[in-house]
Amino acid sequence: MSGFVSTRGQVGFNDLKIPGAWSRKIGKDLYEVFIGPQHPGSGHMRIIIRIDGDVIVEADPDMGYVHRTMEKLGEGREWIKGIPLYERMAIHDACNVTLPYVRAVEQLLGIEAPLRAKYLRVLLCEINRIAAYLYGFGIFGVFVGHSTMYMWPFGDREVWIELADWLTGARLTHSYPVFGGVRRDVPADFTNQLRKAIRYMRKRLEEYRKIYVDNPVIRARLEDVGVIPKNLAIELGITGPNLRASGVLYDVRYNDPYEVYDELDFEIPVFQEGDALARVWQRVEEIKQSLRILEQVADWLDKHPREPILHDRFWKTAPPLHKKIFETEGRAKLVPLYALLKVPKGKAYARAETARGEITYYVESDGGQKPYRVRIVSASARNAIVFKYILPGHRVMDLPTIYGSIDYFPPEADR
Amino acid sequence: MDVIDVIVKIITWPPLWQLVVLGLVAPLGVVVGILWFERKTAARVQRRFGPLHVSPRIGGAIQLIADLMRYAFQEIIIPKTVDKGVFLIAPLTALVLSIVPVVAVPFTSVSHYWPIPMEYSVLISLALSTISAIFIVLAGWASNNKFSIIGGMREAYMITAYELMIILAILSVSAMTTSYNFVDVVLAQTGGKWFIILNPLAFLAAFISVLMATSGFPFEIPESENEVVAGPFTEYSGLLYGVNMGAAYIKRFVYSIFITLAFLGGWLPYGPGDGFISGYLIPSLVIIVKATILMAVFSFLRAVYGRYRLDQALDFAWKLLFPLALMGFGLGLLEAYIGLIG
Repeated sequence: MSGFVSTRGQVGFNDLKIPGAWSRKIGKDLYEVFIGPQHPGSGHMRIIIRIDGDVIVEADPDMGYVHRTMEKLGEGREWIKGIPLYERMAIHDACNVTLPYVRAVEQLLGIEAPLRAKYLRVLLCEINRIAAYLYGFGIFGVFVGHSTMYMWPFGDREVWIELADWLTGARLTHSYPVFGGVRRDVPADFTNQLRKAIRYMRKRLEEYRKIYVDNPVIRARLEDVGVIPKNLAIELGITGPNLRASGVLYDVRYNDPYEVYDELDFEIPVFQEGDALARVWQRVEEIKQSLRILEQVADWLDKHPREPILHDRFWKTAPPLHKKIFETEGRAKLVPLYALLKVPKGKAYARAETARGEITYYVESDGGQKPYRVRIVSASARNAIVFKYILPGHRVMDLPTIYGSIDYFPPEADR
Repeated sequence: MDVIDVIVKIITWPPLWQLVVLGLVAPLGVVVGILWFERKTAARVQRRFGPLHVSPRIGGAIQLIADLMRYAFQEIIIPKTVDKGVFLIAPLTALVLSIVPVVAVPFTSVSHYWPIPMEYSVLISLALSTISAIFIVLAGWASNNKFSIIGGMREAYMITAYELMIILAILSVSAMTTSYNFVDVVLAQTGGKWFIILNPLAFLAAFISVLMATSGFPFEIPESENEVVAGPFTEYSGLLYGVNMGAAYIKRFVYSIFITLAFLGGWLPYGPGDGFISGYLIPSLVIIVKATILMAVFSFLRAVYGRYRLDQALDFAWKLLFPLALMGFGLGLLEAYIGLIG
């Protein structure tokens, strides 16, 4: 309930001028329901809805339940420790989420990763993107009550997580890109297994279409539900697949290519409808494009011989034993220099396209061993506002549909 | 007459036999099997193992018994805010009322083994089957929880969607046989003339509306987890929650028996003879097996469909299912008129 208004002269919540404790008057016949944050249909977030009969008239997304003061924590740690910290925003999308941080610091250091490291970063970024989309599909599937679509993507996601595990040594929080390069080179048979996974995924996407996207019940639930018109999408500043499903061609990989995306051949799918079904199709098509990118990366990795995957500035300080391990096993251990790294004074800004949209890092250094300020604007934080504008007018049962189709991820938004 | 004879007499006394053995024990056994089947097939489709850890050698078949034990020994928490009396009575009454219709249907053609006279059994059993839903609405209301109330209201909406359709669809067999007697209905199907073949429209209408009535996919709306947690049963815990779930499955079992009698030939092709075993036990077993197969079909849909929205389900019921049921009724009348049904 929204607090109480005193009728007998005692001090009510309204008289106490505590922010957040003011009660709101709601309409006469409205029923206020708090969905979340401990609710199977909301994730770690609260959506306060007011319903008239079965129709939502007002929706109020209430973020911040899993806020972890990530930006402040970052100010107290050495530069390199920022990477494992920030990837906790979206652990299944770890490479995409931390890449702009790494690139911003590289700008401050004035270095650039070797070409092979850039390809490896793109490799993991796309693996992460596919895994994150599949995760979103699974959650969406269970939200509309489709238990098979819950299990299938989660099972197929395992393929990509295993690949990432093989490549980086960790299933989720990879901490793969480091300043000036990446942590490891690909294992010997990796590209062949990758191609196998790509073939498998293409086959599975077709099966998803049959049982889920073209399922009459699911189509009835998704079509014309949660429509974000193009102008509203631009006005609210939402990003990522949700923006592209509303007909706006905007993808950081395309508009502001980073790493080696400008050398790769891929398309940015755009859908015009802007409804929940279009957002599902958008992700399906983007997985196909990611598979295309991965194929090209695999070809490139096959054709080019191994070379150092760290910038010379770091690599030359590596002890001989590390170099020997790298030559024999392809693993590069973190060189001791990272622990005491001092980043020159300055400000840098970098962005990347994560699975949920554009993520922006603003990094400021005062020349010390720790960042002066790291400001993060994550994609989910920008997408959260959309609930306020598109939920009203829909039925209560549309709430999970819309929530799932936006692929909102509270830990990423709350930081 | 020794003690065992007396006990056997009491157990096989038709009202008791049908209420307790066919109404309570048989559904429990069937539900254990069906839930296992449901979870195993869904797991097969979804490329998992399904229940495995309890009794790995028989594929986790007694998983549900373990679950039931957990429910039975769990503390029943009654929140302070609920209307205590109604909160306790509603699920139990719903359970009892969902079993009661079993007494009003014949499991054999031998009149000696009917619990009640069967002249109007179609009407009586249908009428009895409609009562228990009210107590689900009541359970939601007594829980005094927003999700429960919304869930209860959804159940109330769904009643308006399915109740008339079930009655229309099953009554179309009365139109075909010009009789309200289930025994006549079953006997009219002798010789392979099952009404599922003669009147598939009414069967389809009955099938879908039973799916609606028992919250099967794609109509699992009142208990839809993602909006209303557990719907009317949100505040229930322990055995009371188990009773709620059990009532839902017994309801589905009872409706399956109706459909079996009305469309799937009841105890046919077996012809009941004299004596308890031939006249009562075997026909009941035939009906239960048919109903179980029907329930297996119901539960397989879980792996294929998502759930409809409430307004879409109502739309579906009144724009598609209602005409379908009427057409089934009309087809039944037509077939009776041209003398297709002997």
